[in-house]
Amino acid sequence: MSLSTSDAELIARARAGDDRAFGEIVERYEGAVAATAIGMLGDSDEADDVGQETFIRFHRAIGTYRGDSSLKTFLVHIAMNLSLNALRRRRRVFARFVSRDETEIDAPSPSLGPDGEVDASELRAFIRAAVGRLNEKHRAVVVLRMFQECSTRETAAILGVPEGTVLSRLSRALQELERHLAPYVKQGAEAPVPETAR
Amino acid sequence: MNEHHTRRPDDRLASLLHDAAPTAFDARFAGRVQARLIEARGQTLPRALEHHFVRIVPLAAAAALLLAAFNWWDARGTAKSTLDAALNLPQVSVAAAYSAASLFDTTATRSGSP
Repeated sequence: MSLSTSDAELIARARAGDDRAFGEIVERYEGAVAATAIGMLGDSDEADDVGQETFIRFHRAIGTYRGDSSLKTFLVHIAMNLSLNALRRRRRVFARFVSRDETEIDAPSPSLGPDGEVDASELRAFIRAAVGRLNEKHRAVVVLRMFQECSTRETAAILGVPEGTVLSRLSRALQELERHLAPYVKQGAEAPVPETAR
Repeated sequence: MNEHHTRRPDDRLASLLHDAAPTAFDARFAGRVQARLIEARGQTLPRALEHHFVRIVPLAAAAALLLAAFNWWDARGTAKSTLDAALNLPQVSVAAAYSAASLFDTTATRSGSP
């Protein structure tokens, strides 16, 4: 199946029972759903389950999907709701059995490679951990606005809050992230000049 | 945004966050979704049967009780036992059941007596 096949065509074929068309939808939007579920829940089996459940729910509702929003927004909306539900369940369990200190998501600080550059994969893990330390409301806004590049309006619609709330949560979340990630933010802003150019 | 920061660190932070966004689940994610869909389809028929069974059984039981009560009330004076009355069993003897009249005339079975 070619990449040029439109979403509408794939949806029509999936509605008619074409599993390959539905598989193409899954592959096309796995990234968007992964960014939401893993961004909210961390890289875990729980996030994988939320990802699967997102597509299962979409498959169940495919007959009623009218295309009012883009397919990506629709799927991200489902994934975000399921992620928030999973976080509520997790909070209930943690409140009962685990002390608050144990819930911190930690990643080691990125190490410097032989060339003096920060290891890219360690930096990504460190940044995701920093996002994971944000409270749920701030994290949801960062995941939608910064990971998914949703507009403020789309973010507000998905979270069911006013646009002003999205902007204020984003501002606070970014300030907190800047505190956690200060060395890496400054490094990128001030020292990207290669040695040979001097 | 915080006034102490210039625009470049903001852009850098946005860029760092964008680059850190997860891009995929573990390998064969699409296969896992398809497997769950197939599993869900397989469960459809048993679930539908269970759904109907749970609703039909109490209704059927209530109807049977009602019929038994009606039969018992109707035949309470003539039946040999309560069970015969509840099940509306006709009173018939072995001799009457095998008589020529009952074998060739179905109405004879009902009217036959010991």
